[in-house]
Amino acid sequence: MTLEYRWVGKPLARRDAYEKASGAAVYSSDLFPENALYVVAVRSGLPHARIKSIDVSEALKHHGVVAVYTHRDIPNNRYGVFVKDRPVLCDDRVRYVGDPVALVAAETREEAEEAAPLVRVDYEPLPAVTDPLKAMGEDSPRIHEGGNICRRTRITYGDVETSFSKADVVVENTYTTAAQIHAYLETEAGISYIDERGRITVVAGGQSPYRDREEICHTLGLPREKVRVITPHVGGAFGGKDEITVQIHLALVTLKTGRPARMVWSREESNIAGVKRHPSIVRMKTAASADGVLLANQTEIIFDTGAYASLGPAVLDVAIENCNGPYRIPNIDIKATLVYTNNMVASAFRGFGSPQVIFAIESQMDQLAERLGLDPLEIRLKNVVRKGDYGVFRNKLEGSVGIDKCLESLRNHPLWRRRGEYKGVQNHEWIRRGVGVAAAVKGYTLGALPDRGSVALELNADGGFTVRASSTEIGQGIIQSLTQLAADLLACSPEKVRVILADTGETPDTSVTSASRQLFLSGNALRIAAEKMLDLMRDVLAKATGDPKTSFRFSDGHAHTMKGEAIPYSAIHSMMAEGGVATYVEGVYEVPRTTPIPGSLEIPHLFYMYGATLALVEVNLLTGFVSVLRVVSAVDAGRVVNRQTFTGQVEGAVAQGIGYALMENPVIENGMMRTLNFSTYLIPSIKDVPEIEVVAVEDGEESGPFGAKGVGEIGIVSVAPAIANALYDAVGVRMLSIPMTPEKVYWLIKHRR
Amino acid sequence: MSGVRVVGRYSFILNGRPTTVEAPPGYTLLETLRQILHLTGTKDGCSSGDCGACTVLLDGKAVHSCLTLISQVEGREVTTVEGLAGSKVVKSFAESGAVQCGYCTPGFVVAVEALLRANPNPSIEEVKEALRGNLCRCTGYVKILDAVKMAISD
Amino acid sequence: MVSLYDIQVFTPRTLEEALELLDKMGGRTKIIAGGTDLIIQMRHGLAPRRDLINIYGLRELRYIREEHGMVRIGALTTFSEIAASEPIQKHVPFLAEAANTIGSIQIMNKATIGGNLVNASPAADSLPPLYVLDASVKIVGRKGERTVSIERFYKGYKKMDIAPDEILAEISFKIPDTDGRGLFFKHGLRLGDAISVVNGAVWMRRREGVIEDVKISLGAVAPTVVRARRSEEILKGAKPDDENLRQAARAVIHDISPIDDVRGSAGYRAEMAVNYVYMALKRLVMGR
Repeated sequence: MTLEYRWVGKPLARRDAYEKASGAAVYSSDLFPENALYVVAVRSGLPHARIKSIDVSEALKHHGVVAVYTHRDIPNNRYGVFVKDRPVLCDDRVRYVGDPVALVAAETREEAEEAAPLVRVDYEPLPAVTDPLKAMGEDSPRIHEGGNICRRTRITYGDVETSFSKADVVVENTYTTAAQIHAYLETEAGISYIDERGRITVVAGGQSPYRDREEICHTLGLPREKVRVITPHVGGAFGGKDEITVQIHLALVTLKTGRPARMVWSREESNIAGVKRHPSIVRMKTAASADGVLLANQTEIIFDTGAYASLGPAVLDVAIENCNGPYRIPNIDIKATLVYTNNMVASAFRGFGSPQVIFAIESQMDQLAERLGLDPLEIRLKNVVRKGDYGVFRNKLEGSVGIDKCLESLRNHPLWRRRGEYKGVQNHEWIRRGVGVAAAVKGYTLGALPDRGSVALELNADGGFTVRASSTEIGQGIIQSLTQLAADLLACSPEKVRVILADTGETPDTSVTSASRQLFLSGNALRIAAEKMLDLMRDVLAKATGDPKTSFRFSDGHAHTMKGEAIPYSAIHSMMAEGGVATYVEGVYEVPRTTPIPGSLEIPHLFYMYGATLALVEVNLLTGFVSVLRVVSAVDAGRVVNRQTFTGQVEGAVAQGIGYALMENPVIENGMMRTLNFSTYLIPSIKDVPEIEVVAVEDGEESGPFGAKGVGEIGIVSVAPAIANALYDAVGVRMLSIPMTPEKVYWLIKHRR
Repeated sequence: MSGVRVVGRYSFILNGRPTTVEAPPGYTLLETLRQILHLTGTKDGCSSGDCGACTVLLDGKAVHSCLTLISQVEGREVTTVEGLAGSKVVKSFAESGAVQCGYCTPGFVVAVEALLRANPNPSIEEVKEALRGNLCRCTGYVKILDAVKMAISD
Repeated sequence: MVSLYDIQVFTPRTLEEALELLDKMGGRTKIIAGGTDLIIQMRHGLAPRRDLINIYGLRELRYIREEHGMVRIGALTTFSEIAASEPIQKHVPFLAEAANTIGSIQIMNKATIGGNLVNASPAADSLPPLYVLDASVKIVGRKGERTVSIERFYKGYKKMDIAPDEILAEISFKIPDTDGRGLFFKHGLRLGDAISVVNGAVWMRRREGVIEDVKISLGAVAPTVVRARRSEEILKGAKPDDENLRQAARAVIHDISPIDDVRGSAGYRAEMAVNYVYMALKRLVMGR
């Protein structure tokens, strides 16, 4: 199908934006069903303990309490996407402070909150295992029956040891990264009720209504047709709502009581019980020849997944896949371990395992460049992969590869070309400036995992179309992108396109909204549905006019005949209705995938996002405070569907990257979270985010609809190493751990002297 | 302090209309707006005055509704985002791409409205100072500044 | 996070009425002014849940007056009002600067200086300037009023010279000499609002190439805000050269006793106290 792009690429204002800005948009936490019970979880408060007994009798006596539920009420008390290791309500033991032990359902929020501490749990405290290295030891107390190693693998190509012995330069370091809290402005929240068809209906902030429904059905022993999951507007997700949060708890209360229920986590509860980005330890040894050609990279990756696996096994795969950066390296050796501890549960967070390892490899690249006397951008450009190359896993890179263009655009940027001038500015004798660069890569789609999605399309009586998909609007602008795609595919104006999302009772399964590929997936399924729809319309028109089926041309909501007649789509709808032809079609798209390499679950990917970050920082030698003055983010975007949405995604990712690099410092002591709110867990404010310039490298991805690529995650991936490299450029200290808090930077500078 | 719900009657001007509400005097204005009046445009991001999502105008000044008791509102004037429906600030946020997940947006809209009423032509630095207590996790603030610039030039 | 659904709130119309209420129920109630600290503390279980006497609307305690070489600030004056006040900006711009950093605009519009003082956080940003100004607080009760210097008012961590039936009504200070200059500083962990890891104020007057008078205060490094008297002594009468400024800055450790918390270690706080005082002195001397 050849297309004129009339709407794709246009900076149209998002249709959900006005209702959100005016306060009219409804989120899960805004719903107050009549006669609802308020649900509060009783959480362990201990990092590790055996449950000897649970006594709910006092709580049940409290005024207003309708029910208190424990593990005895859950038919199949384990869930999890990769490993079913997580209890809905704890039975034998608690494995982190946020583990839920009981649910209190009461007439009011106050009554539920007051009754929660009355649930008496008799615990036998167990040693808390909070250091991942100790957790990996043979003699460590076990957190799960199978031990503390959730997943371990080794992937080797070539021969690193021989390369190390021949190399002109070898750089070896251990990098550590802290957990990162998603800190979406809307905490985990939802309601539940029984709908008009008798289905237990859960309305909650999530990223995957169909998968959430599977987990509810599995744990509560319900058939699929009895459960419905709806995702309204979500107040931020970033991966943190990819798995179950409130859904099963809400379904349980409505199932047992027949009444609507409401559960909203407080900010403190979200910081404790919500998932995090994996804290990591990455040991890396990298070798290059005198002219800067990379020869070998040996990496040991340890990711702390906390008490449960959640999406950790897949996150580990992405770390493995990206730890060599976007480079050609003939010899690699990767040992990777996902380890259980009694810390907070880690799972998906924008970048999905990539930011941790890119911090390592991109810090290594600058050190290699310095040792060899090479320019940091030149050494990268010398080694980057290009289209048609084979990647480190001997996988042919068939999709678009725009990393060279990203780096070249930064090389030509004034901030890089004239970095000496930028560095020269010095307001006080204790202030220094520096410029740093780093490259980024991350696969999108689910790699080698099966991934298919459906989108339904209906022609309406008014000549407009309704698009139905189970994609979730988590702020990324999927409603708008689908609208613009549909308008072009169906040759109508965007106003004629209605989009209904994320309701297992109303929309087909479009798989999960994650891995920066929802537009790719639903866009392709929509393209297939649109082809079917136009074919159907041609059939009906041919029958009605007697003209050949291929003779019709569609534009501006009309079919144009050979005779120059313009038939509005509404008339085609009437023809269909009269002829008893269904006005509804479904497009199914199966994402192309690879065969996983031995030792992996889902890698390599067929498609990769690339990007590069340039940062100018200012460092105060007397305080260790690092401020970011300017960021340029180059992104290999394929074709941009909506420029405003695209740059918005990148800017937001960069800001999260600045937070991750500098200030987001979750203080977790012996399994206890000390940074419970926004006054202690600091995220960037408007004063902490500088001017961000987004450079789009539009190198079309042929497999995407209109050549679009995933762009949701790539902007965050190389921010921390770019800042670390800029910090080195400014003051000559190499920070091997993030966040680079003022205190850490200060001591590093001070002890260097 | 008895564990028994205390209820008072409070009269104030809400979005231009005289309003009387029955609520516990210790309830915050945020709890009252959302849970009793079901005016949910005002969002609850932290209930601790750290995020700005619950910003409302109290006698024309931006304050946290989570740190204001309903009993402190008696006789005063409260404007929530619902009271700013025709504001150019709402429009400029919607059109500038300043809205992603949108949960922080009403708080920003109210804070910007307060700023522009007091200072119709603020500098970028003044805008940043006025918004330093409003957290956004999605946009990186770039398009929020664009939105304010658009509202200023309108 | 708990709801305050079961507390009573009494709202007196005059200071007199407030004092009567306090007299009757002083031990069992707490005063709420702007409430920006108290509501959080009560809802998070950090302060006991009490019935409240709401004085937020008492206009008689909301003023900034300049008279007889003094500035008087009513306890219920908000930080927005202080930051925007002409006499404050003119005579003590470093107090206006401190008022501007105590929190977001939303906090500044609601929080009152009296509330900030009786909340008694050693990290309160309004306090260091008041310490170098040798400010006094006026305390009123049914039996009368009294004035206490700010340094005497704080007796230890969150311990104040005020009885349950008294109200802090006013803060006042003498307008400093016009030939001196003051400066406020704060170290937060981001550029946006952040609770201070260290804060402080320095006031200095130079004459004929020497430092004639200097006052230095530091917050968040001891149970109360402190004056760095040893440093002040070193500088009085000394030349403002780099060596003297460094030596004076290092001497602040004699007057501080920082502790560890989630925002920073005691060691880092001590270093920051020294370095910020150095930077502040240097900026005052360099005139930027």
